Amino acid sequence: MSHFLRKSLSSFLYRPTLFCCRHFSHSHPHNTTSLFSPTWLSRNSYTNGLSPTRARFWASQPAVTEPSTSDGLTVEGIISNNWTILDENDGDWKSHAAAIAQSITLIKRRLQWKKLKVRLNMLSVQLNKEDLWDDPVRAGKINREHGSLLGKMKEVNGLERELLEHIEMIKLAREENHEELELESMKALLNMRRNAKEKEIEALLSEEHDSCSCYIEVQAGAGGTESMDWASMIMQMYKSWAQQRGYKVTVMEEMPGEVAGIKRATIKVDGEFAFGYAKSEIGVHRLVRISPFDSNKRRHTSFAAVAVIPNLGDQSSSVQINESDLRIERFRASGAGGQHVNTTESAVKITHIPTGVTATCQNERSQHQNKASAMAVLQSRLNQLEMARQAQLNSQHTQSLTDITWGSQIRSYVLHPYRMVKDLRTNYEVSDADSVLEGDLDGFIMSYLSASLDKNEDDA
Amino acid sequence: MKLTLTNHTFSTLLNSSFINLRRPFCSASLLSSSAPISVKPQVPIFLRPPIYSAKLSDLKKWHNWAKSVASSIGSSFVQSDNGPDSEILCRELKWFVEDVVEDKHWLFSEMGDGDERVKMRADLEELYCLWKQRIEERKPFQYVVGCEHWKDLVLSVEEGVLIPRPETELIVDLVSDLVSKNEDLRRGVWADLGTGSGALAIGIGRVLGNGGKVIASDLSPVAVAVAAYNVQRYCLQNKVELREGSWLEPLKDMEGKLAGLVSNPPYIPSTDIAGLQAEVGKHEPRVALDGGVDGMDALLHLCDGADLMLKPGGFFAFETNGEKQCRELVDYMKSNRSASLCNLEIIADFAGIQRFVIGFHR
Ligand SMILES: C[S@@+](CC[C@H](N)C(=O)[O-])C[C@H]1O[C@@H](n2cnc3c(N)ncnc32)[C@H](O)[C@@H]1O
Repeated sequence: MSHFLRKSLSSFLYRPTLFCCRHFSHSHPHNTTSLFSPTWLSRNSYTNGLSPTRARFWASQPAVTEPSTSDGLTVEGIISNNWTILDENDGDWKSHAAAIAQSITLIKRRLQWKKLKVRLNMLSVQLNKEDLWDDPVRAGKINREHGSLLGKMKEVNGLERELLEHIEMIKLAREENHEELELESMKALLNMRRNAKEKEIEALLSEEHDSCSCYIEVQAGAGGTESMDWASMIMQMYKSWAQQRGYKVTVMEEMPGEVAGIKRATIKVDGEFAFGYAKSEIGVHRLVRISPFDSNKRRHTSFAAVAVIPNLGDQSSSVQINESDLRIERFRASGAGGQHVNTTESAVKITHIPTGVTATCQNERSQHQNKASAMAVLQSRLNQLEMARQAQLNSQHTQSLTDITWGSQIRSYVLHPYRMVKDLRTNYEVSDADSVLEGDLDGFIMSYLSASLDKNEDDA
Repeated sequence: MKLTLTNHTFSTLLNSSFINLRRPFCSASLLSSSAPISVKPQVPIFLRPPIYSAKLSDLKKWHNWAKSVASSIGSSFVQSDNGPDSEILCRELKWFVEDVVEDKHWLFSEMGDGDERVKMRADLEELYCLWKQRIEERKPFQYVVGCEHWKDLVLSVEEGVLIPRPETELIVDLVSDLVSKNEDLRRGVWADLGTGSGALAIGIGRVLGNGGKVIASDLSPVAVAVAAYNVQRYCLQNKVELREGSWLEPLKDMEGKLAGLVSNPPYIPSTDIAGLQAEVGKHEPRVALDGGVDGMDALLHLCDGADLMLKPGGFFAFETNGEKQCRELVDYMKSNRSASLCNLEIIADFAGIQRFVIGFHR
């Protein structure tokens, strides 16, 4: 279900009828005979109208019962069976089922399932109080929150039931030797696997700015050419990663090192969820290798810092910039200028005087466009600053490069004496260092994102 | 190398509007006389149809060659006359490819065995030739591709027309700010004297409101033709009118009527011309650069012009060579008794050099 649809569903939720219709038409595309009669479904479908009394009646129903197949298989059961998950194309039904169960579990974690149930119960109690509607504003609020949570819970339960239903069907078809039915059910299961995966990703990336495009900034640590080379390797890794994901990459700013590599660079990554994924990369990345720049062939350790900033675009959270607070300079300009000079270099540097925040762009063909791009970077940096100031929470995702202390190492890349890339936060590791440097980062990103969920749940 | 543009593509790109070019009174000193269209402007590469093609491997070969030539320059041009270094040349090469190749993604992709054909807007031989001219003859990159990105415009340029400078963009910003607050000036008639490629006239034409228009003049027939082409590309024929002639001569009918007057006239002192970087000194038209002994010839003439042509409350902006000329110009305006110019202000460019003198007619 699209984000939008889900939102509109939950906001309509206090109209039970409407909700039920839409909801079930989605999660039960072929729901004619339910194999495990969910009692509350039939009860809910009687609910009509919008009157407070109706709502009370509806809300007072027991929220959910854990679905299972006729032989007692539950989603948790599937997980604990530890069935191997194979590739979509060569998996059998168990593999599909295990993959779907995994997605569901992750979505539940994201929703903070246990907390959600407790909260839902509490709200139900409130809704059942006689004097509830004495304060209609508060009642409306409670009613809506209850509806929204119940909607989420039902969506997940819907997924669980759908999964079990498919399994039941497949088992049944096999018993009856009904090939056609088996084939069809397998197809439905595979379809569901894909949908569930999508929902899982949506659930992973549901923080405020996750869906935004972003800027990725890389800065070389101390250590001269070797670290600058490392910084450019890291930047290359992100460029490849972003391109493999189908994002558009634009170099905004690049300060090359004297001999090789870069001192610092910024790229813009355009595409849905770019920030949501890339934020996992914030922190210091460490490299150990024999430096090609060391004639004595010694082993070197170098560092590069990575910052990721959401590109909020024209969103209302944009900070208002006063033209008079800006100093706009021609970057690297020298000599008499004007008619004396013909250069295609028209880099522009903009300084926001009150904050000292700067942005440069040199990549465009006109000064005007360089200025516009630099303004966009400046705007997003100021937004970032403002976000950090306002929130002060969410701290790890709002750090700018300068805030990243060189102590906050997140990942280590060893190319000598052995080859391994290891994430220090999740302990996820890969021995094919080259593939990682070529942009194969999704394993790291996904494991970090789901580990963050676990952490949130522990905190909860 | 002159491109032969006699083929049909050219005539379709340029419709008949050139014939409508007004040819008002021209000074006797004018070299050109005869037909209304004595000069046919070139079409920039990026606007030509992609009728050529090359094998990907051949194109890559050219690209590698061009890149190595660019790299071999190092900073030698910088040292000799403050010309471009390898980094700038490599970036130009990237833009060159963008303009020439229809789908440039080919060139940088690792895939493919090199036998695919890539569609291009110029043939491979011409690419070799053009890049050689860029490096060996120091032909400005903008003349190589036939255009310059200036503000949010892409203006056609060719030998014989000054390549608009980034500094000059600021004049349009100043005018844009002004007219956004001043309805009267927004709907008035403006003049861009020595319009060159038409950059200022087009930039200003786009910020004027209903009724507002720009009269752009230039002594050079090539400039007038190129400016007309650019005006037409941005569909501003109704807003920008071109007149050929020396400074104010073609604008005699506008005395005391102009809402605004802008100009970036030639301002380099004659003695400095010889020391200019090759791209400028060897390729750009001297008539666009040489401002006489102290570079002030045209500027002083235009001061008097502003005095004469602007209506009360009218605005002017001139680009100059820097602080010295700015000060001299302001002094001249203040000391000249008949001068009615006021609220004089000197404005710096983005490099911090005092570049513009602006003010109003009383
Ligand atoms: C420095 S260029 C400026 C071109 C354009 N306005 C720009 O900013 O890119 C000066 C222009 O003044 C023109 N010019 C030189 N002498 C002139 C004259 N006597 N009357 C009119 N235009 C003249 C040149 O042909 C040239 O196009």
